[in-house]
Amino acid sequence: MENVTGEGISDQIERFQTQLQMDGRGRKHRILMVSDFFFPNFGGVESHIYYLSQCLLKLGHKVIVMTHAYGNRSGVRYVTGGLKVYYVPWKPFLMQNTLPTLFLTFPIVRTILIREKISVVHGHQAFSTLCHEALMHARTMGYKVVFTDHSLYGFADAGSIHMNKVLQFTLADIDQAICVSHTSKENTVLRSGISPEKVFMVPNAVDTAMFTPSPDRLSCDEIVIVVISRLVYRKGADLLVEVIPEVCRLFPKVRFIVGGDGPKRVRIEEMREKFSLQDRVEMLGAVPHAQVRSVLISGHIFLNSSLTEAFCIAILEAASCGLLTVSTRVGGVPEVLPDDMVVLAEPAPEDMVRAVRKAIDMLPGIDPQVMHLRMKKLYSWDDVAKRTEIVYDRAMQSPQTDLLERLPRYLRCGAWAGKLFCLVMIINYLLWCLLEYLQPTEGIEEVPDIRPVHARLESVDDTCETQGKGI
Amino acid sequence: MNNESRPKWRKVAYGGRQPGYDDNHTDESFLEEMVMNANVVKRDLLKVMIDSVSISQYLCIVALVVSTWTYTLNLVIDEVTLLKLDTSLLLAGFSMLLLTASPFSLKLLSKYVLNTSFFISGLYVLAPIYQTLTRSISSDSIWALAVCLLLVHLFLHDYSGSTIRPPGALNNPKLTSNISLNASIVASVLVASRLPSRLHVFAIMLFSLQIFLFVPLVAFCIKKFSLRLHLLFSFALMIMTLGVTYQLHHMFFILLLALLVFISIVCPYWLIRIQEYKFEINGPWDEAKLCFDITE
Repeated sequence: MENVTGEGISDQIERFQTQLQMDGRGRKHRILMVSDFFFPNFGGVESHIYYLSQCLLKLGHKVIVMTHAYGNRSGVRYVTGGLKVYYVPWKPFLMQNTLPTLFLTFPIVRTILIREKISVVHGHQAFSTLCHEALMHARTMGYKVVFTDHSLYGFADAGSIHMNKVLQFTLADIDQAICVSHTSKENTVLRSGISPEKVFMVPNAVDTAMFTPSPDRLSCDEIVIVVISRLVYRKGADLLVEVIPEVCRLFPKVRFIVGGDGPKRVRIEEMREKFSLQDRVEMLGAVPHAQVRSVLISGHIFLNSSLTEAFCIAILEAASCGLLTVSTRVGGVPEVLPDDMVVLAEPAPEDMVRAVRKAIDMLPGIDPQVMHLRMKKLYSWDDVAKRTEIVYDRAMQSPQTDLLERLPRYLRCGAWAGKLFCLVMIINYLLWCLLEYLQPTEGIEEVPDIRPVHARLESVDDTCETQGKGI
Repeated sequence: MNNESRPKWRKVAYGGRQPGYDDNHTDESFLEEMVMNANVVKRDLLKVMIDSVSISQYLCIVALVVSTWTYTLNLVIDEVTLLKLDTSLLLAGFSMLLLTASPFSLKLLSKYVLNTSFFISGLYVLAPIYQTLTRSISSDSIWALAVCLLLVHLFLHDYSGSTIRPPGALNNPKLTSNISLNASIVASVLVASRLPSRLHVFAIMLFSLQIFLFVPLVAFCIKKFSLRLHLLFSFALMIMTLGVTYQLHHMFFILLLALLVFISIVCPYWLIRIQEYKFEINGPWDEAKLCFDITE
């Protein structure tokens, strides 16, 4: 009886998955990615949007990116693979974030949605003003919306309290949400009150074609530990100041390479002077992303001392280059790699030194080429795109709702905030009616699809990683 | 034939979608590492009331200063009496410091005396400037400004410590504590500038600075020395202050009494009542706290 029941359930799940895959393959989505963060700015969110968009294009979907202007880069640009990017003429005013205008982005968002015949709007990053506003406008117009959260936030400080309220507003009426780790999912569910069933865990990935090990295996005559991160408090630079002298004292053949710049760089320089480690701790300064691989392959161990991470792509890049990782056990880091590829430590100097010792003991058993091949199986942007496609399918299946059905969701956000949110959405709805009157949908010219690009894409046999080299 | 059940779900991000589970899978391990109210301290009413005595004590001290200012401005207290009061306060303060200081040392005493002598000399030389500082400003503005500065002083004051650190103290004074001290000194200068003679100005300035600079240090040392002595000193101070203000102004007396009752009884009770609404969440998503001090 148990076997029959188990098989039944498995069969049903298998059929459901097959149907999902078939549905995914049959129906093509038209996705608008929205964030304040995109190239030429560089970071984890930027890479995520770019690689995800490329792989979705490869799957046959149409992808548009919307971001604000970066310097002179304003207007419409086409990047690799025919990815269309709208650099909206909106100036950033704080850390690449646009000024929160609440309603002023509605006309241009509406125009883009109609011109490109968008079916799903995908916002990225809780700290992106443009993302929140675009999702709000898209919901008002009845589009399906998906949100990806890339960071962890606390609950106690004033900034986090405010951001959590904004997130609660945006996610009150979201179709689906994505987080990059299970810890990040728990964090987002607590901060916004969204139902856990609506949140998918789709991790980041790494372009393994860009991060390959050195052809020649490094000798273990001296052990090189690589650190590449911004030298700020949140990345644990103060922890490095305590750990590096102790490791150098205990292991005479250890050498450090520290890449990155930031306010705490002076402290590390002072540490070098104080302990006379000029010949054993090399400071590179800011490392362009194109040179990260050449720095990584010159080391045996990658050291990550972050105090908070939702995911940590740097660890993936190091593992793809064949490095053994030593990392603090914070946020989503324990979920990122199998136990034999990473040594975790509490964010305390003694435990970090202990983890470095353990990593040095494990080093003879590490083969960079084997590790690289394992990374190719563990993470790939193709897999991320397929899983995101399932999220889009799930979003498209959710029922259509109008304003009256959506207002109670905002009302539940709080005694005062709920009413305020309802007021905002009602005004937004009236604004939409006004825009429909001033500039009817029928009068907006739709953009024709450029078939040759897709045709050319579909004929290419390369994996998506190849596209990454064309940035 | 297929006897395999689906493998157990793991909370990991690597390896792609886990077979048999959707990416939005949520099981009983969701939020299992969440800790609520880990740092909440259960408070006792009596303990909170005893802790609030520091605030009441300092409120009485400031009330005494205001009373003295008022008497002096009304010329009830002349400069000779004020100078005697200054000398008495100075001697009493030094005696208390020496009694409560664990390692008695003559070097410490001589250091104190030397610093105080320099301070008093400088103040005497500057007294004529203080006297004429605000001659062109109307008295209404002076009183309003002095009251505002005293309120700033009371709100930003460091009640758990002392701005002037005793020897060997580790922490630096906070910014708010410094602002508070400066506000009180400016208020003292404003009041002193309304007195007729130079000696009067010197006497009242010395009195005010002794109170605002010296008394918190003495009170802090007393509190560290003995809690019982601290409570005794505080209650004696309260009684004396209430007596002085009763003679000065009945409304001021009622206001002060209401404030003392509010601070000593109502606020502790109120704090304990609202403690039950405390809600604090901790988990693996929190930013890690470093266990060592960052020395810049």
